[in-house]
Amino acid sequence: MATVSEKDRATQTHPDVRNYGEVNTDILQMLSRPGKWWWVLFGLSVAGIGVLAVSWGLQLIQGIGLSGLNSPVGWGAYITTFVFWVGIAHSGTLISAILFLFRAKWRQSIYRAAEAMTVFAVMTAGLFPLIHLGRAWHAYWLFPYPNQRLLWPNFRSPLVWDVFAVSTYFTVSSLFFLLGLIPDIAAARDQSKKGSLRNRFYTLLSFGWRGTDRQWHHFGKAYLLLAALATPLVLSVHSVVSWDFAMAIVPGWHATIFAPYFVAGAIFSGVAMVITILVPLRKIFGLEKYLTVRHFDAMAKLCLVTGLIVFYAYLTEFFMAWFSGEDPERHVFWNRVFGDYWWATWIMLTCNGLVPIMLWFKRVRHSIAALFTITLFINIGMWFERYVIIVTSLSREYIPFAWAVYRPSVIEMGIVFGTFGWFFFWFLLFIRLLPPVAIAEIKEVLPPPMRPKSKKTKEVAS
Amino acid sequence: MSDGMKRRDFLKVLGVTGAGAGLVGCSTDNVEKLMPYVTAPEDITPGVATWYASACGECPAGCGVWVKTQEGRAIKVEGNPNHPVSGGALCARGHSGLQALYNPDRLESPMRRNGDGHEAISWEEAEEMLASGLRDAGSGTAFLTGRTGPTLSVLMDELVGELGGRRVEYEALSEAPLREASRIAFGRDEIPAFDLESADLILSFGADFLETWLSPVEHNRGFARSTGVQADGSKARFVFLGARLSLTGMNADDWYPVRPGSEGVVALALAGALVDRGGDAGPYASLVQEYDLSAAAEAADVPVSSLETLVDLLDEAESPLILGPGVAGQHRNATAANLAALVLNAVSGAVGTTLHFDRAMTGAASSSYGDLATLISDMEGGAVSALVVRGTNPAFSLPSGSGFREAMENVGFSVALATQMDETAVLADLVLPEGHYLESWGDSNPRPGVWAVQQPVMQPVPHFDSRGTGDILLSLARNLGVETDAETFHDYLRNRWSDRHSEAGQPGGGFEAFWRQVLREGLAQFPADAVGEVELQSPDRALSFDLPEMDGEDDGLNLIVYPSSRLGDGRGANRPWLQELPDPVSKIAWHSWVEVHPDTAAEMGIRKGDIVRLETPHGEVQAPVWTYGGVRRDTVAIAMGSGHENYGRYADGKGVNAMRLLPAVEEAVSGALVHLVTRVQIEPTGRHRRLATIEGSDQTRDRAIVPAVQVDDLRAGDLGDHEPRPRTELRGGGGFIPVPSDAEPESFPHEGSRYGDYDPAENRRWAMAIDLDKCTGCSACITACQSENNVANVGEDQLLMGRDLHWIRMERYVETLDAEEPGPVDIRFLPMICQHCGNAPCEPVCPVYAAYHTPDGLNGQIYNRCVGTRYCANNCPYKVRVFNWFGFSDVPEPLNWQYNPDVTVRAEGVMEKCSFCVQRIRTVENRASTEGRDVRDGEVVPACQQSCPAEAIVFGDARDPESRLSQVSRDGRTYRVMDHLINTQPAVNYLRKVTFHPVTDIHV
Repeated sequence: MATVSEKDRATQTHPDVRNYGEVNTDILQMLSRPGKWWWVLFGLSVAGIGVLAVSWGLQLIQGIGLSGLNSPVGWGAYITTFVFWVGIAHSGTLISAILFLFRAKWRQSIYRAAEAMTVFAVMTAGLFPLIHLGRAWHAYWLFPYPNQRLLWPNFRSPLVWDVFAVSTYFTVSSLFFLLGLIPDIAAARDQSKKGSLRNRFYTLLSFGWRGTDRQWHHFGKAYLLLAALATPLVLSVHSVVSWDFAMAIVPGWHATIFAPYFVAGAIFSGVAMVITILVPLRKIFGLEKYLTVRHFDAMAKLCLVTGLIVFYAYLTEFFMAWFSGEDPERHVFWNRVFGDYWWATWIMLTCNGLVPIMLWFKRVRHSIAALFTITLFINIGMWFERYVIIVTSLSREYIPFAWAVYRPSVIEMGIVFGTFGWFFFWFLLFIRLLPPVAIAEIKEVLPPPMRPKSKKTKEVAS
Repeated sequence: MSDGMKRRDFLKVLGVTGAGAGLVGCSTDNVEKLMPYVTAPEDITPGVATWYASACGECPAGCGVWVKTQEGRAIKVEGNPNHPVSGGALCARGHSGLQALYNPDRLESPMRRNGDGHEAISWEEAEEMLASGLRDAGSGTAFLTGRTGPTLSVLMDELVGELGGRRVEYEALSEAPLREASRIAFGRDEIPAFDLESADLILSFGADFLETWLSPVEHNRGFARSTGVQADGSKARFVFLGARLSLTGMNADDWYPVRPGSEGVVALALAGALVDRGGDAGPYASLVQEYDLSAAAEAADVPVSSLETLVDLLDEAESPLILGPGVAGQHRNATAANLAALVLNAVSGAVGTTLHFDRAMTGAASSSYGDLATLISDMEGGAVSALVVRGTNPAFSLPSGSGFREAMENVGFSVALATQMDETAVLADLVLPEGHYLESWGDSNPRPGVWAVQQPVMQPVPHFDSRGTGDILLSLARNLGVETDAETFHDYLRNRWSDRHSEAGQPGGGFEAFWRQVLREGLAQFPADAVGEVELQSPDRALSFDLPEMDGEDDGLNLIVYPSSRLGDGRGANRPWLQELPDPVSKIAWHSWVEVHPDTAAEMGIRKGDIVRLETPHGEVQAPVWTYGGVRRDTVAIAMGSGHENYGRYADGKGVNAMRLLPAVEEAVSGALVHLVTRVQIEPTGRHRRLATIEGSDQTRDRAIVPAVQVDDLRAGDLGDHEPRPRTELRGGGGFIPVPSDAEPESFPHEGSRYGDYDPAENRRWAMAIDLDKCTGCSACITACQSENNVANVGEDQLLMGRDLHWIRMERYVETLDAEEPGPVDIRFLPMICQHCGNAPCEPVCPVYAAYHTPDGLNGQIYNRCVGTRYCANNCPYKVRVFNWFGFSDVPEPLNWQYNPDVTVRAEGVMEKCSFCVQRIRTVENRASTEGRDVRDGEVVPACQQSCPAEAIVFGDARDPESRLSQVSRDGRTYRVMDHLINTQPAVNYLRKVTFHPVTDIHV
């Protein structure tokens, strides 16, 4: 590949990546070199799964009463974490599908990790509808399976919509993820030792990819089509999730703003999570060349925009509560800020409203450490946003005599934290087994290898 | 499918194989004699309930009951509608009798003292021991009994007479001062009947007549009938004078927070003022003149003007009724206070109109503690060599200063007849398991001429080798060689009734026919002696009406120890239904609490839930504070009945025994144990606990939950100047756009709307009306519902988490409450149940159709289908859905015998809620259908309505304009909770409370 002038470099997405071969080497070496930190994190994740298994097992045996839930707060940390993970799942598809359709050039380095995060976040989120059921062993009744008694789920229930939305989203995002992986898996296959377990695994998942023109042609079409198919899901899934609340008549839930508000929140939290994950990934695997400050800058801008939408939605909610003139509605919002859960609300407002203001500054956006810190705040803030919406609304509804305070139990927190273990377990396996940065697509944005003007070595394209 | 196996064959094979496998799998080690109904007993049809009439043995009021039995097990107690006391209703304690019957802590066999514990022995040994013990003791024998039925009393007295011993009656809640006052005032040594129903002004000097005082069910009914607003807008007024608002006080229209102990002075001053206006105080004229209003106002710590208002009210009233201080107000001058109240009754003309001696409360407990105190000192002195205790628990209910425990240890041979261990039985040398009142014979005589039979409704519960008290005594008589005219107590009882029957001139023909009739109906009415004119008599002894002397330092707070409306004197404490029943006043269950005025608490830096040490010169206890605006600032109150040590798994260690704070002091005149006797010092311990309460907030925040209307506005037809908001229905644009609806509330669901299978043209709509002007918040409905619908108990820990399972939440909102100045008090009760909304928010959100609308307009809940998402509960604006967080229905044997076989016992992880007693609806529908007729109006009676002593609940078909429900609901007071806001179209119509003072929140 030709060396480029400094002037040209500035226009490129990955100025420090010199040639195609380097991409292959750098990315594929991640698959073979776990390193100490990976093992530490992996160990923690497995421990988290252990906590999850024990907590959930106890809850299944003894009863959902091991949670801190009560009447009237029937949903708490479980549904909060469900919505949190569904939200996280959104940025992956946004980055890979929507930004693909919009031809945003900065997506190439990050989209693979974001997509993987999406798939694993949905897998994590999908646990919670099971976990929170009083009788989890009957969960399949929510699916419209054929049965002798001709019983069907209630299609008017937003929970049934949820089942469809989340399972559709999981299907499409997994397909999209696996499809995009095919050329890169083929590259990994070609590099792995013939006959090894890894090789067989890659062979299976690369679906006989040989990089022919015809295959590239079909691949491009399929990718485009799936991108188009996935795009509406980005908007619809979290809208449906938001309707779990908006369709109910609970003061604090019953609002038309919920769908856009939740979608913006999902992207906000999802992009933040992408940054949170990519920062250590970049550090540990030395991917500074591929994940440049410019990429982070772009993601930070996306965070800023969605964060502002979310904050605007908060203000709108408060305004509408006041404007409704109805005490139940007004009181719920008063209670959020000054009542039993004031601390959760102020965590939410601080983390999601105040802290992201920093992102207006270019210096902050270009500081990886600052971004990492800010996005951690955003992750925490977005968890609390759902907690505030769910718990504060339920705890003070229409009938004051029935008001009650909910406190999460140890088991509940064990399950909530355990699912982080579950998520990172898959994610850590992913970065060891599948190319976490899109090899083929990075090459698309690199300057193409030209016939050398001078006598230089040839490069091999994958 | 012509060849091979058919589906039916397959199932047959499967069935036979399965059964075979099951048989082989059975253990043959424990072959018990199981007998199927090959020849069914005559009166048992499997699946069909049999009802027996009997009498309630929970308190001396003597309500007649009907007991529902199915397959030989008692499963529900209901009031006997033909009985003049219960009138068909029952209180929570009456319902809980079942949990005493099936209590897992009941004694399994006779027990003999062995060292510190007891060992099981056989009945033969026990009876031998009893007989020889009493034979040896001879005239040193003492029987200490609670209130005992008439025939059992005859038998006991016969035995005691033969032995030459004595019998002492002791009840912790005794109206001895009232009885003595009645003797002094009218020469009648009995407790008069208080006819609340005929009164148009009720003045209570602290008597908690809706809770524990004399006959709560009867009083509740009479009170609701008089204070519930009539069609013509008339309504009795209720003024409560006392230092603490009990549940009874919470139902008052006006509260005079008088200083505790000032009742006598105030009553006499009022009587004096009435005499000035022409009243006749007879021989008391000079006495009442000694007390003027200003002095009384000074003594009572209320403005004199307020007492003048009271005089006006009494003067204007046509049939006033004045009630005395009650047990909680028994102080050192209690007889005088009761006498003053009786004099005030006489002066205001109540005697003969609302205060009756011709139906005196012959069953009421009026024993004096003085008798017991004498017995205790004899026990200490060694004059008592054998003691038999039955039906009372003095080791628990007496102050420790009484020395009863020590005295009992000093008795050579002590015997306890009890259904289960208690603090007294545990001290006894011999404990005999007596039968519960639902499994043994007995009778009661609650008022002159009214006799009820307490008939066993089932074979004794087989888990416990118990014997009826009467039979134990007859066997004792035989062993002692005492001649009786019967082998069994059943025969003995029949003989006494036969005598009574002959004396009365054989009403109803021969005795056999009469007896059968009595057993069927549960009671007999014999002519009673006529009571002539009752007039005031000159007092035959000197009395002091002054403020009573109080123990403790002057800077202490007055201590009120009041009987618990749930646990009574403590005998209800081992029943989870009663323990978990939220107290009607504090809404706290399971543990004790101290009621302190919020200002007093603030001065001391005490918050709600802080655990404080209460210290009197006589003892100390520690309990959490519940700040309550319904006690005077200088007073604190605590309930008795909690804090057991040896009373079973549900009672022990729950709360504290407030009697430990009191001295064992008897009132000089009547001998009653005084309750209002000491001041108390309060000290924070620095510890805090969460209260096991169901109360969220007691403020309605002006939401249309319990609106009221002033009686003047009601008479003027002014129910608020508001225009009801237009009712809308989602009918436009394919069901998305609300359009105004002109439909009447009764016609829900509206035309064109979709409600599943529900077809308004064809079907009924079951609905309920609850008159909040009658509801007193007594909470009997809650326990009735638990009994009928197998509602489980969750225990204190789960209640603390907010997980109670009651289908009825008796909400209690505080509108007006001022402990400083006499004035209106406005506390509103709202029994909140599933509203069976026509447009139910819970139904569409259930993903599996576990919540659905039945064709007759009910909100169905299919437990088997429920997966437990709890979405329905989240979306229920009334918060009436409760969830089985654990398998709460697994209760120890034989407590599970109480379960109603017609109702599913819910498993872990499912939602439940009020079903409008759908099993009763279906039973009636099936009966009507077999009889080829329509269901009659009023034929379906849910358990809550059946039990309601205030007759506040009406159930029926809202679609039928002629049904009583529709007629009641057409009242201008009718509203539906928050219907305007959320368009739920509830089937429960509430009728607003009616007040005498102006109210602001008449908008609904």
